[in-house]
Amino acid sequence: MKLSDRITILCSSVLAAVILSVTVALLLFAKNTILSLSNEQVQRKQQTLRTSFSEMANYYAANSDSDAVHTSLVRYCFTRFSDQTSVLMKDGETVVSSVIVDPSAYVQKDGVDYGEATPVAVTVQGRRLLIAGSSTSVGGKTYDVYVVEDISDVYSRIQRMAWIFAGVSVAAIALGAFVVMALVRKSTKPVTALSEAAREIADGAYEKRVAVRTKDEVGRLGEDFNRMANAVETKISELEERNERQRLFIGGVTHEFKTPMTGLLLHAGLLRRANLSEDERDASLAHIESQTAWLERLTQNLLKLFTSDDEIELQTTHIPDLLDEVKDGVEPKLMERGATLSVVCETETLILNGDLIRSLLNNLIVNAANAYDADAKEKPITLTVKGKTFSVSDHGRGIPKEAQSRIFEPFFRVDKSRSKKQGGSGLGLALVKAIADAHGAVITVDSEPDKGTTVSVTLP
Amino acid sequence: MKNRILVVEDDAAIRDAVLLNLQFADYDAVAFDDGKKAADALEDDHAYDLALLDIMLPGMDGFELFGLMEQYSIPVIYMTAKTDSASEIKGLRDGAEDYIVKPFDPLTLMVRIEKVLKRVGKWNAVYRVRDVVVNTETHTVTKDGEPVELQPLEFDVLIALLRHKNMTVSRERLLSEVWGFDYLGETRMVDVKISALRRKLGLEDAIRAIPKLGYRLEER
Repeated sequence: MKLSDRITILCSSVLAAVILSVTVALLLFAKNTILSLSNEQVQRKQQTLRTSFSEMANYYAANSDSDAVHTSLVRYCFTRFSDQTSVLMKDGETVVSSVIVDPSAYVQKDGVDYGEATPVAVTVQGRRLLIAGSSTSVGGKTYDVYVVEDISDVYSRIQRMAWIFAGVSVAAIALGAFVVMALVRKSTKPVTALSEAAREIADGAYEKRVAVRTKDEVGRLGEDFNRMANAVETKISELEERNERQRLFIGGVTHEFKTPMTGLLLHAGLLRRANLSEDERDASLAHIESQTAWLERLTQNLLKLFTSDDEIELQTTHIPDLLDEVKDGVEPKLMERGATLSVVCETETLILNGDLIRSLLNNLIVNAANAYDADAKEKPITLTVKGKTFSVSDHGRGIPKEAQSRIFEPFFRVDKSRSKKQGGSGLGLALVKAIADAHGAVITVDSEPDKGTTVSVTLP
Repeated sequence: MKNRILVVEDDAAIRDAVLLNLQFADYDAVAFDDGKKAADALEDDHAYDLALLDIMLPGMDGFELFGLMEQYSIPVIYMTAKTDSASEIKGLRDGAEDYIVKPFDPLTLMVRIEKVLKRVGKWNAVYRVRDVVVNTETHTVTKDGEPVELQPLEFDVLIALLRHKNMTVSRERLLSEVWGFDYLGETRMVDVKISALRRKLGLEDAIRAIPKLGYRLEER
């Protein structure tokens, strides 16, 4: 069962119970009030009748000589005050009456006292009657004086009132239930929207958001839901991006392995199957050696690339020492290329991973050396450390503007043939980027074709 | 006349190996390591029967070079390291005759080259080894100008050896190239045909049995 329906039923039941009990209470109260008013009225009427009749009859008829005179005087006196509700009886015999019932059958006579005559309510032939009666003495004879008031009208009015009350309360309950339902529907509608949105998100529509703008808990839930959806979407797109990068990377790696593999297989096949001359055999073996060395470089760099992805260990490092190590490390490669390295250091210590930063600087310096044409007369390279920034500058051929954003991609080469001849694995700058990322460092490239390049790495 | 083949491949190891394989099989091969250089050279000399093109090339890539090849009606076989079918489809849709995925078997490359040359009608039908001349069109064999009678299967084995001249061909490969895959395992049949060829053509020292590998027709 839906939550909204449950709340509606609950609220409506409570509302109905309240309205019904109030109605019943009101009805009972009204009925009692009306009945007691009628009671008092009848009682007063009977008292007035009895008193007036008693006074007049005692005055005129108390000393009558004969019974007949007495009786007709009494009757006369009674009719002076009676109306269609009055009854006069003597010893159980009706003297004067205009009603259809014998009131003495219903009322206990009080005797000759002048006390209160409490009205009695009876139903006779479908009529509600209120009967009040008491005795009085006229010239030593006892007369009973009754008032028989037909209150059927009052009863039917009460009944009508009850029906009206019932009608009004049923209408009130219906209206109340409708209002409750509308309110509940309105307040649970955002919940329905939330659940729909959640289902859509689960089905992959990560960009889905809810428009819940109420200021209550549901509104806050909506805000929180959207915040969560944002987080999920960001995370998912990050993961997708990463997946795509990895897919491209693995594609790149496979492709990159295929070329040396092909060379190796072809030459191994030649050595095994062909009758090669001495020179041809030497050339084949040289190819096998260089292809294997290339594969080795590739795997080394891949390994570094993967390990630099993990959490790295940072240590306070003495920078001039670090730079000396870097210089020693690249010296053979620089000699080979006829390049010279000058080092400017204005920083004493920094917190970093020495091994990784050495590898980073090594790569940048070799790249700088390779940026010169092979036959350039001078190949100066500058390594500067200022504050938290390492910069490597050359005056080589520079990087075309359109290539600058891509040089850190694995296996991206500005000039494929040249970079292979220089022994590049296609992973040098990807490695630089990975190491910088692992440190949270920022890389900036400032390069102009034929003027030179400066690559700066700023630690956080 | 030898078939002339253009090779454009930037990787030196692959280029040299392909050149050697082509030379062994009596092709006249010319190689370039750069797409642009190859394109420039084509202006003066475009008398090639077939081109073997790498796709990822410096200067000008294989797909760009293809336009030029079409212009000079040179059939193309791509040598690609790209395994994604997109580049294969692009290559073939544009009209390349065939493609071969790196790393490839050189003997398979030779078979593909021969098939393409036959398809475009540029196949040089005549093989020579020492004083033996084999014409694949007329199915005739002469030794020192004198015709020699060969059984059809002997003729096919001879062609398979000539196709991979100077390279060792395994008995299994000979079976599959000559008899088809159904006869795999019956390597004795090969030995019988080989000894007949040696005897009839006087190639006892030219057709060498290489232990554990197979037979090699040597001419060096």
